[in-house]
Amino acid sequence: MAVLLARLHGLRHSNAWLFGTMLVSACLSLAASFVLSADALRLAADPGTSLSCDINAVISCGTVATSWQAQLFGFPNAFLGLVAEPVVITIAVASLGGVRFPRWFMFAAQAVYTLGVIFAYWLFSQSMLVIGALCPWCLLVTVSTTLVFTTLTHVNIRDGNLFLPPRAQAAAARFVEADLDAIAVTIWLLVLILAVVTKYGSALFG
Amino acid sequence: MSTQTRTKSRELRDARAATERRRKKRGRAIVAGGGVIIGCLLVAIVISLINAAGSGNSRTAAASQGEGATPAIATAGGALAVGDAAAPVKLEVYLDYMCPFCGRFERANSGELDRLVADGTVRLELYPLSFLDRMSNGTDYSTRAANAVATVADHAPGKLLAFNTALFAHQPAEGGDGLSDDEIAELARDAGVPQDVVNLFAGRVFQPWVEASTAAVFQTGIQGTPTVKINGEVFTGDLYTTGPLTAAVTAAEGE
Repeated sequence: MAVLLARLHGLRHSNAWLFGTMLVSACLSLAASFVLSADALRLAADPGTSLSCDINAVISCGTVATSWQAQLFGFPNAFLGLVAEPVVITIAVASLGGVRFPRWFMFAAQAVYTLGVIFAYWLFSQSMLVIGALCPWCLLVTVSTTLVFTTLTHVNIRDGNLFLPPRAQAAAARFVEADLDAIAVTIWLLVLILAVVTKYGSALFG
Repeated sequence: MSTQTRTKSRELRDARAATERRRKKRGRAIVAGGGVIIGCLLVAIVISLINAAGSGNSRTAAASQGEGATPAIATAGGALAVGDAAAPVKLEVYLDYMCPFCGRFERANSGELDRLVADGTVRLELYPLSFLDRMSNGTDYSTRAANAVATVADHAPGKLLAFNTALFAHQPAEGGDGLSDDEIAELARDAGVPQDVVNLFAGRVFQPWVEASTAAVFQTGIQGTPTVKINGEVFTGDLYTTGPLTAAVTAAEGE
């Protein structure tokens, strides 16, 4: 048991696990961005069209996609995913292949991706609280963005890439070393699920 | 090494070990706390799912009971029919008063529809649905509006189209609270509905009928709103500009 736990612990901090998770999540995010971009183009051509995921009133990409929030920068948000996720995929694949990026590079990746996560959660909250509809592909983006962010953060704390003051770096490293980040991420995702289920549970069974 | 330094290094070692022990203890406490939170969240998710499944079933049950009144001009399929029963074209419109695209459809076509009904070309069957109730912050705007429309259809059918047009002209934003009961009543009065009919809205007599017809309509394979059928065929042309639908109706009339 102890050996197994130690092995799991070792695996969780290994490049293979971290960059593997990052790779899979980024691929899912890219796929979802691709579907959302394609839908956005179809919707622009024909506003009345019903989309692949217009299951009912609440589970509806169409409702979300026609809101102003879906084009915050004047083009469909999903285009950002098409631009950003391949970079993450490249970083993950290169790292799996043994490449070690300079600190400043990983720090920059962290900074940009943090903006991405903030944006993803702003969209999530808008779709929950303002638009009032659920878009399965958007939700996939929210979850996979979260996973990319947490693995990237994990790597950068492990490797000391974040230019933190020594004490903060030591505390962060202890936090990750004790696997508390895994607990934090689990709680984070469960809160997300709870929010969706509480608000839209009846629609899932409607 | 002198005794003194040895004692000192042991003290140092002990102190370090004590810190390490404290840290581990705290770590275990945090892990345990995290585990409790995760457990609570899982329980909450399961409870929420069970509640949702339960309420979903009870809603379907209530709808299938179908007690309560049926509007005088209702069809068996759950529509409100206006216009000449012998008109050459039957036009079915599936709508929800909360659906923004239904509003766009209505604003583009209501003038033409009024004319086509008035000149006897079209028998119009409106299906006021309530499936967007979840989009009005719990105020069930779709149901309240559909019930009001069904009440008008029952007691003042001549004002039905005017009231329908008024509701879409003042359509509330999707995801908001919808119009209040007072606002709905005022729109009805402005559309010429008598006050004694307006007074009936609050009783929600036709709510079961709205629920039952919404359920029945989705059983027939309707995917969403607005859906428009001309003589039973789904109209696939442009619903949001004036003209194409009229042209299709005229074409169907010639057949």
